[in-house]
Amino acid sequence: MAERPEDLNLPNAVITRIIKEASTCPLREARRAISQAASVFVLYATSCANNFAMKAKRKTLNAGDVMSAMEEMEFERFLQPLREALEAYKKGQKGKKEASEQKRKDKEKKSSSTDENDKSRDEEEDEHMDDEQEGENEGE
Amino acid sequence: MAATAPVAPAESELDRSGAEDEPRSAEPEEDAGNGQTGPTAGAQQQQHRLAKLPLSRIKALMKADPDVSLASQESVFIIAKATELFVEMIAKDALVYAQQGKRKTLQRKDLDNAIEAIDEFAFLEGTLD
Repeated sequence: MAERPEDLNLPNAVITRIIKEASTCPLREARRAISQAASVFVLYATSCANNFAMKAKRKTLNAGDVMSAMEEMEFERFLQPLREALEAYKKGQKGKKEASEQKRKDKEKKSSSTDENDKSRDEEEDEHMDDEQEGENEGE
Repeated sequence: MAATAPVAPAESELDRSGAEDEPRSAEPEEDAGNGQTGPTAGAQQQQHRLAKLPLSRIKALMKADPDVSLASQESVFIIAKATELFVEMIAKDALVYAQQGKRKTLQRKDLDNAIEAIDEFAFLEGTLD
């Protein structure tokens, strides 16, 4: 890439929205600087997290590495909200996977009868809820 | 890519090819951290609910680091979320200075003051234009 990493800015609209929701309206120069700071944060956090991955002799950076990086960077206050967000994200990913599998099954069954279709969908929904409850327990 | 996604564990989602580059360049951007080719509308809704910043852009920034070979989808998501928290934090801290100056908008100097005053922002010193 010919650009500096810092040139990879995050979308202005999103940054502005986050700033407004947290505090107040930023003037253009302030928003630009915060956006830049956010990019620097990503780079710094990535580098820090990568050190943990390398120490563990792993090539792939994982969520745990990022958590360790946050601690190292003295952003412990982020750890709890990040853990909660990660749980929600994992559940969402799992739900999506099940949803697309369900869609596939529905498609296959459409060629046969529609009654069976509805029945299986109800059954799948029940399974879904059990999984979610289990997930919540694990999160604790 | 097949219509349905491979059922791969989230952690090693980007690990499959073992190549340093994006393993699936033909894939649409993983904005929702969703490696699956599900309906884009659904994926975008997921995106807005859990992470405000686009994961694709975050991932591009992460890959700018030459020492980083691969990153799990979860790690990209967590960094996106952490960045959001960081922006909130710095915006709130800068606000304190704006209010001291009896202003209702954030100026660049409010940010500079916050960076100078707060230890956690020390890494930013000298990095902003």
